Amino acid sequence: MSTVIKSQTDVAKVRSAQPNPRRDLSDKAIRNIFIFPTLVLLIAINVFPLVYSLYLSFTNYSAIANKQPVWVGFENFGRVLSDERMWEIFSTTGQYVLFSVALQLILGFALAMLVRDKFFGSGLVTTLILVPMMLSPVVVGLFWKLMYNPTFGYVNYLLGFSNPSLAPDWLASRWAGDPTPGLALWAVIIVDVWMWTPFVMLLILSGLKAIPDYLYEAAAIDRASAWFQFWRITLPQVTPLMMIAILFRTIEAFNKSFDLVMGMTGGGPGTQTEVVAVTLYKQAFQGQWQTGRASALAYMVLIIIIAISNLYIRNLNRMKEGA
Amino acid sequence: MATIKLRQVEKRFGEFQAVKPMDLTIDSGEFVVFLGPSGCGKTTTLRMISGLESVSTGDIFLDNRKVTWLRPSDRDIAFVFQFFALYPHMTARQNIAFPLQAEGESKDEIDRRIKEVVDLLQIGHLLNFRPGKLSGGDKQRVALARALVRRPAAFLMDEPLGALDADFRESMRAEIKRLHLDLKATTVYVTHDQIEAMAMSDRIVVMSNAEVQQVGTPAQVYYDPANLFVARFIGSPGMNLITSQYGDGVVRLPGSNRYAVAPDWRMALGEGLDSDDVIMGFRPEAAHIKPDGTLVGEVYASELYGAYTMLHVELEGNEIIHIRSDRQMRYPIGSKVRFDLDPEMVRFFNPKTEMAIN
Ligand SMILES: Nc1ncnc2c1ncn2[C@@H]1O[C@H](COP(=O)(O)OP(=O)(O)O)[C@@H](O)[C@H]1O
Ligand SMILES: [Mg+2]
Repeated sequence: MSTVIKSQTDVAKVRSAQPNPRRDLSDKAIRNIFIFPTLVLLIAINVFPLVYSLYLSFTNYSAIANKQPVWVGFENFGRVLSDERMWEIFSTTGQYVLFSVALQLILGFALAMLVRDKFFGSGLVTTLILVPMMLSPVVVGLFWKLMYNPTFGYVNYLLGFSNPSLAPDWLASRWAGDPTPGLALWAVIIVDVWMWTPFVMLLILSGLKAIPDYLYEAAAIDRASAWFQFWRITLPQVTPLMMIAILFRTIEAFNKSFDLVMGMTGGGPGTQTEVVAVTLYKQAFQGQWQTGRASALAYMVLIIIIAISNLYIRNLNRMKEGA
Repeated sequence: MATIKLRQVEKRFGEFQAVKPMDLTIDSGEFVVFLGPSGCGKTTTLRMISGLESVSTGDIFLDNRKVTWLRPSDRDIAFVFQFFALYPHMTARQNIAFPLQAEGESKDEIDRRIKEVVDLLQIGHLLNFRPGKLSGGDKQRVALARALVRRPAAFLMDEPLGALDADFRESMRAEIKRLHLDLKATTVYVTHDQIEAMAMSDRIVVMSNAEVQQVGTPAQVYYDPANLFVARFIGSPGMNLITSQYGDGVVRLPGSNRYAVAPDWRMALGEGLDSDDVIMGFRPEAAHIKPDGTLVGEVYASELYGAYTMLHVELEGNEIIHIRSDRQMRYPIGSKVRFDLDPEMVRFFNPKTEMAIN
């Protein structure tokens, strides 16, 4: 052969230049054929709605009114910001996110520490702990609704209440018939914690298992107590994974709380458990079908989530730089 | 400073015997090196002394205090790990401060003690870096500082230079030796590098196959190896070992070479051998080439080592030995050389027991 083959790419060129009966299509064409359907689907299902809803958030569009959207500028955003109910909803959402993520973190960490060392049946225990995470949120919501039932629910039975009229009615925020605000929100938070603590545990467990033994050996030689080792080695070593767990759970608590809350309380009683995801749904699909306004609200939630994520990620990067 | 005493210390991992029962006494202020090929149980022994590994049987004493079942933190020893084992999320300074903080020392005391070791090791410029940003040698210096800052009764070091570049090792070797001379702290040092062992130690513990082969000064293990393993393992190349016959004061090497044994050896040989078979050993520098030498061989290969030439000489019977000769001399391959042995440097081994005769 007269060609001098200099590199891999030359080899490839020489090869593809030769007629190959088994392969009429070039690598590039095959690549494009595989990517194309995915690309179309992504654009149709993700990108287009994203851009279109941004446009809608500046209009007075309603999905059931047979009218063209009319440009209203920032009116929707102004209305959302000046709506007093909105602040209450954001405060509910904030509490929901804060308490459920904090509890998941504490319990997840504790569980991870428990199953960290191998003991008889530790694999089985770990798997069992993970079960809640694998269930559908709607199903979880529904069966917890049954468990919270003041007359025949398991929760009150386990808590030792035998007379339903003296027992708490969790999802109605009543205790022995008296209104007890916050009870329903806590009931939902407890379920969210029950469901997602395993996820946090799993992330933290992987972080714990990645800590090399020699760090603890060095610490033992350095005469560090178990407590000192926990604060100075274990905790800093799993912090990056903990941050990731917090990030995931915060984003999810904002959005996916919807399934759980709708399944259990529908936002009630009154608006006591109405988190912003529920409000969004109500504005968009119930009552007046205010598509434009719901889009504006959705975009504001998006901005909040991006801002929070950014804070976390920046923190995470700062920690990683050191390591 | 402390003495370290091992009494019948043994380690088994399940059925596998990693360290066979071993006795050893290390004096206060002594620098003892565990030397042996990889996998012979050096690290395991060191970890048992530190308490990171439990003993299967036997007892360990520090300063005559039985510590066999004490935790590492209750033994007052420092351990320098082979791969440094620095805390990756802390700066060098925080790493060094860690053992002091763990003991609850005051901030002033911590600052003072850190300054002390920092001056000693000259690592002031490294303090604000995390281990990930330090070179291997600097990491090892920080690890040494972390061990020193606590002023422990004894230092245990597991191949502390094993992970460093060759040229760097030599200067770190000198640094560790100097530290030891300054502090006079009892030190147990593990290595598989015999040059390191020779250069640094007061005494060497040669290990192989989970067993102590010999304990002695560098000169003792070099000139008077206790058995064939030590004779082969120490020195590069190791001792020349020639399977021969002995009778009437004469060693009959394969072929026609004969070596007349010095009179004071005859009795020992008579007692130490249970047949005519004997293994004669001598170091390459024990042979002196001269025209009227009684032993003869043929030059097989010749390597110039710089300060001297190492001749590979084939004796009758296909035995190849090493002879250290003058740098200036040239010996063409295939030429005959005659040599004599320095009688002070000839050793004998019983081929059955593999033990030295003396
Ligand atoms: N935790 C352990 N479990 C089982 N075998 C081990 C363990 N630690 C060491 N060993 C074995 O014990 C032997 C001695 O190991 P080691 O003391 O590390 O040797 P060295 O330090 O001399 O290279 C090796 O064969 C090694 O595989
Ligand atoms: Mg080792």
